[in-house]
Amino acid sequence: CTKTLELDPISQISNQSFWKTENDATGALNGMYVKLRTQAAGNLFAWGEARSEVMDRSLGGTAGLQVFFLNELNRSNVGVSAANNTINSTWQGMYAAVHAANLLLKKTPQISFSSENNKNQILAEAYAMRAYAYFVMTKTWGDLPLVLEPTEGSNPDVIMKERSSKVVIMTQIKADIDKALGLFPDNAFKNGRNMWSRPAVNALKAEVYLWNGKVMQGGQDDFRTALKAIEEVEKSDVVLLDKYESVFDYTNKGNKEILMAVRFQDIESSDNVFMNMYIDNSYMNKNTDQTTKDLIGVLGGLPAFTISKLVRDQFSVDDQRRNATFIEIYAPVNGVNTFYGSVVSKFSGTVIGGARKFYDDIVLFRYADVLLMKAEAQNALSLDPTAAINAVRKRAYGVNFPVHTYVNQSVVENDKAILKERLLELTVEGKRWWDLVRFNKAFELVPSLAGKPLDNNLLLFPIAETTLSLEPKVKQNLGYN
Amino acid sequence: KVTDEQKLGIPGVIVKEKGTTNLTSTDNNGNFSIAVLSDQSKLTFNYIGKRMQEVIVGNQRIFNITLEEESRTMEEVLVIGYGTQSREKLTTSVSKLDMKVLENVPLANVASALQGTLPGVRVQSTSGQPGAAPRVIIRGGTSINNPNGAAPLYIVDGIIRSDLNNLNSNDIESLQVLKDAASTAIYGSRGANGVVLVTTKSGKAGAVQINYGYDLGISTLQKKYSMLNARDFIYYQRMGIAARADQDPSQLVKLGLATSGGAGNDLTNKTAYTTQYLTPANSYKLNEGWDSMVDPTDPTRTIIFKNTDFQDVLFSTGKTNNHNLSVSGGSEKAKFNLGLGYLDNEGIAISTDYKRLTLNMNGELQATDNLSVFGRVLYSNMRNTQVFGKESDMFGRSLALASTAKFTYEDGSLAPGLGATIGNPLYYESTIDAKNSTDNLTLSVGGKWNITKDLNFIPQVSIYQVTDDNRSFQGAYYNGPASYIDSRVASGGYNKTLQHQADGVFSYHKTFLEKHELEAKLGFSYFQTEKSSLLASGRGAASDLIPTLNGSAVPVSVSGLESQLRIMGYFSRINYNYLEKYLLSFNLRYDGASNLGDKKWGFFPGVSAGWNVHKEAFWSSISDKISQFKLRASYGVNGNIGQLGYYDAQGQYSVGAQYNGAAAVQNTALSNPGLTWEQSKTLNFGTDLGFFKGRVNLMLDVYRRVTDNLLTNMSLPHSTGFASILTNLGSLENKGIELELSGRVFPQSSAFGWNISLNAAKVKNKILELPNNGIPFNRIGGDYVYNPKIGDYAWMGGLQEGGKPGDIYAYKQKGIYATDEEAAKGPKDTMVPLADKTKYGGDVNWEDVDGNGLIDSRDRVYVGNIYPEWTGGFTNTFNYKNFGLLVRFDYTAGHVIYNYTEAASVGQFQGENGLSSTVLRSWKKQGDITDIPRFYWADQQARSNLFRGNSHYYEKGDYLALREVTLSYVLPQAILNKLKISQLRLNLSGTNLHYFTNYVGQNPEDGGTDNGRYPVPRTIVLGANLTF
Repeated sequence: CTKTLELDPISQISNQSFWKTENDATGALNGMYVKLRTQAAGNLFAWGEARSEVMDRSLGGTAGLQVFFLNELNRSNVGVSAANNTINSTWQGMYAAVHAANLLLKKTPQISFSSENNKNQILAEAYAMRAYAYFVMTKTWGDLPLVLEPTEGSNPDVIMKERSSKVVIMTQIKADIDKALGLFPDNAFKNGRNMWSRPAVNALKAEVYLWNGKVMQGGQDDFRTALKAIEEVEKSDVVLLDKYESVFDYTNKGNKEILMAVRFQDIESSDNVFMNMYIDNSYMNKNTDQTTKDLIGVLGGLPAFTISKLVRDQFSVDDQRRNATFIEIYAPVNGVNTFYGSVVSKFSGTVIGGARKFYDDIVLFRYADVLLMKAEAQNALSLDPTAAINAVRKRAYGVNFPVHTYVNQSVVENDKAILKERLLELTVEGKRWWDLVRFNKAFELVPSLAGKPLDNNLLLFPIAETTLSLEPKVKQNLGYN
Repeated sequence: KVTDEQKLGIPGVIVKEKGTTNLTSTDNNGNFSIAVLSDQSKLTFNYIGKRMQEVIVGNQRIFNITLEEESRTMEEVLVIGYGTQSREKLTTSVSKLDMKVLENVPLANVASALQGTLPGVRVQSTSGQPGAAPRVIIRGGTSINNPNGAAPLYIVDGIIRSDLNNLNSNDIESLQVLKDAASTAIYGSRGANGVVLVTTKSGKAGAVQINYGYDLGISTLQKKYSMLNARDFIYYQRMGIAARADQDPSQLVKLGLATSGGAGNDLTNKTAYTTQYLTPANSYKLNEGWDSMVDPTDPTRTIIFKNTDFQDVLFSTGKTNNHNLSVSGGSEKAKFNLGLGYLDNEGIAISTDYKRLTLNMNGELQATDNLSVFGRVLYSNMRNTQVFGKESDMFGRSLALASTAKFTYEDGSLAPGLGATIGNPLYYESTIDAKNSTDNLTLSVGGKWNITKDLNFIPQVSIYQVTDDNRSFQGAYYNGPASYIDSRVASGGYNKTLQHQADGVFSYHKTFLEKHELEAKLGFSYFQTEKSSLLASGRGAASDLIPTLNGSAVPVSVSGLESQLRIMGYFSRINYNYLEKYLLSFNLRYDGASNLGDKKWGFFPGVSAGWNVHKEAFWSSISDKISQFKLRASYGVNGNIGQLGYYDAQGQYSVGAQYNGAAAVQNTALSNPGLTWEQSKTLNFGTDLGFFKGRVNLMLDVYRRVTDNLLTNMSLPHSTGFASILTNLGSLENKGIELELSGRVFPQSSAFGWNISLNAAKVKNKILELPNNGIPFNRIGGDYVYNPKIGDYAWMGGLQEGGKPGDIYAYKQKGIYATDEEAAKGPKDTMVPLADKTKYGGDVNWEDVDGNGLIDSRDRVYVGNIYPEWTGGFTNTFNYKNFGLLVRFDYTAGHVIYNYTEAASVGQFQGENGLSSTVLRSWKKQGDITDIPRFYWADQQARSNLFRGNSHYYEKGDYLALREVTLSYVLPQAILNKLKISQLRLNLSGTNLHYFTNYVGQNPEDGGTDNGRYPVPRTIVLGANLTF
């Protein structure tokens, strides 16, 4: 009678039935990117930029996000964000992507493929994903539990892990990057540029080695490695688009400046974090001039945080990036046109059925970012970084470029210029906090860190209470109770 | 003639000459005639729900028999699994519903009848949507992860169902609840959470009876939220914005915006609110019912506004019409029953309703001398409409739409309010077009084969099918004044659950040597359920004209699912008694289920014993005082897989997601081939006591249930990338006591009848064991707070061994600082969401539990538990001549509710919501002594005096509900004879009349967070029941 009781699932896939064909692996590969997208919706921004001087409260208040830009993170407020649904900054979601990659790495080799290239491509993307995920996490939390096998049960001896030192983590990241680079069959992008490719992994490699060189005191060899990786990137089909704003044009996703972007789109994804940087009707000032109203267009989202005055004021008026990054709203008060608020226009999504939807791709790497990393690596090696800086500036200032042409200065001055250029070029692209850490300028440039103990542990994030409660072997980062 | 206590003739009473096959039944008026063999013959009168009577014929020729309500006496006949048993011989814990509960009020959901009427059965109405199923939990439930999901097993006429939805209470003949493991062991695999057994009405031999009943009900809102009117709202909203400006001057600009309290609105269709400065252009509105006030933030200016109470917009009076027609009758050879019902129950929220058509048709035929066959059809069709959007949006947020919002624009069209989740209910209800229809169909056939005099075989096969087809269409609408949404999302779905069940039971019953009574059953059961569904959604229709999917231009999603579950079992029961004094019963079941891992079969035994002490010779001396005394004990093992999905053991890769348009497969559940039965072991002791010849009866049960191998979601470390894995690791204890008391205050002979019945139950849950995860007490989740008992920080709450699920922690409000100076002396509050943490007068003075001078998350304290401990109820029934009065209360105590709706409308969390009138007593100036902090616009951005979780808003949910009052009247026979009808009963009833509670919100029944719920309406019913 037991036979009668053995029923196979009809509409779902069980462990036994999966991992048999090439298509299974492709489906799982897509699934891995879905996991990444969940993180890209808000967490990548929360970790990569929300604590920096870029962000400040917006017209609708803070939606609990002030703990980031006021730098008031602690164990209990980092795992939950009260009033928005895109940020939940524990590492669970990143490890979900790691698990998806680990599964692919374990199961794909057992499947026979129509071509070895297809198999290698999948494995390469999985290694790349694992490297990227660990890199994001180690930048955020430092030491990490190192999980290299898929989770397949609940044996505490297996799943309860202590944190491995960030040196061990970085070693693993570098190894995974090398494996990925070795496996990619070619230097091409996949259609849409929203999956890992060899050029994208080289961009990742550049950042990893810059980080290792600067934050982990790796030294000159790292900068040389970074520079080499960037040279590899430049061999691929990548250019600076002529117009800055067209890089972020909703209808121009996956353009030639993009190396890797996480795809958001109608039907398959939800709004991302930029919904918290726009404005809806209840906060809009109807006395604003028509030009501004037209620029903003259909209202939507909830204005929880936006670009700070400190950063907005650093854009010169002849910088094309200014209007492509934010919109300032003025309204008359007692006859005087007075600043009312601002919204982020760089990623304002699209309008579907009358409603604004924040479905912009989240760009992980694009060529301008790589160019500025090039300048950074060059400068670290005391090479002249001006060519790379000026390539970026030329596009930004257009006809006014001659007055903004950068001239080589001291290493310190160059670094300062590069960091500022990164701020202007990459505003709200989720890079600023990590840039500040890499250039060791966070305490200097972030007003809300003023007066805080000059403790580099504060540059890490606290580990969420929910994480600690489930992982007894994980200890809190220093500086957080 | 046979009548009841109200002198109402009882039709269909079986009148039998004892010891013969000679019988008849009463006609519609309760009259009967029977020819008997001799004067020495005894006549027995049997009717379900009434106490059996026996009389000796003697020389009497006319009998006036009054059958008493069967109180909880020994003669009560109980339906137990696969059979019946008298209370006298019962050794387990079974409660039976007093059918009076179903008599007067048309219940859209039968499960509501269990509320407060059966000890140990916790029933909570969590929604007032007509037809909504209340939550039913027996003896605390056996789940750690989801204690509110531990639903009992429902069995209607031997057929397993997942609920009692869409069942007509008029079709119900009896309802009982099996509670201890020995009684439910016969349903072994799924009995752990108790079993609710329902028997529907079937034909009885005797004259044809035609009965028609009609109820007219009027439902109204019990209690409104107490909200500020527009004038007060504007005052506080503006002062709250100004208060914010103390710390952040940029906030002042809000005073001029087109918001609920901002004066930037105008008379166009572009703003949502009426609030605006008085100008010559708009002053005419003051003659059209608008009001004006001095701007509290700038006394030189005048604000005009119009007040609208959106609670009055959302709530209206709901009408209920209920018709029931039944025809039944037959001979000893063939019996037939037909029941038809139609209920149209309007909700108290506009455009919500529940319509139900029911059919109960069955017949039984004596095919041969030893074989009878029967067939039954139970069918219902349900259609309902529900509120726009989520209930919590409608009843928590939209209900609190600020009273300054425009109800209509100047052109008379409805204004939308702030947006879809905080909007004008009337407007949004007009933009949806939805259909929701469910068919429940039960077909069963079976028979009874008397193989020998003592042995019979009863097979039954059945199909139970629930089909649900629904669609919804969101027409183009304004999401607030400025945003016109014309995506016109449409969806349609079809779900089917098809269940096959086959049961066969051999029964053997014999009394040996007139002393030893043996009853034995052996049976098998086969159960299979198959679920399938089709769902699709689309959008982009050109117009609002077509609400179905064919209008959509863009297909958005499609889905189709199928799944199967099979459970097989073999079972047996042996009952033995010696002279009805010593009782012994064994129940066994061996079950296998397809959704388990490698180990599919489980064995579930139950044993129980009883001693009817009053039958002992030594008892006779006191038997007139203590007429009954029985001791019972039972022990049994039950299984449970109720919360296990059909394929959970196999792990899951789920589909449906896409990346860049390509199908994605994600590993969403880990496999666990070791998953097996939960095992519930219950030890139950009980006693049944009768005093003064059954005038007072008492039943008492104490039990301890330990459920091992609990199917528990074990939370996994975040670094696994999974939230949890389903395991069998967990053990929960429910300990409780249950009491049932009934009594007749006046003797039977008194013209005035007064019966009291009362029940009470207490349950305590304790987690004994959790999956080993290396954390002390194997804790899962919880809050890291200072524990004064140990003088150190500790993880509290969550799930941990020795604890109980549902504990909540919050910040303790000690008081409100009266002055800035006082505030300056207090601890530093790290939770103020601004860079400047200075505390001011009007801020909450939080308890610094650890005394470290800092208020942070570790300063939270225990504020209660979300699950009730005490449940019960009591009923008084009075009879005098043709009048009857029933008063029924129930109560629940021990649960705590986070009154989020109140906190949000005192703290203005949303920004534009209406404000609770509590704000009137908020702190206003230096020196004020109050328990409500200063009103700031958007507390969570200002001081977080409320938003962080303030103990003040964690309220006790204890309540006593006046659930039903019914006055009934039976028309005297003299009048009826003229009208040529046999019987007419009229009743006037009120249900859900009042909650006696300190809870400030609307519905105190459910613990946990109250985000706004459909309030349970108060209903007045006028009913008539007519028998021809």
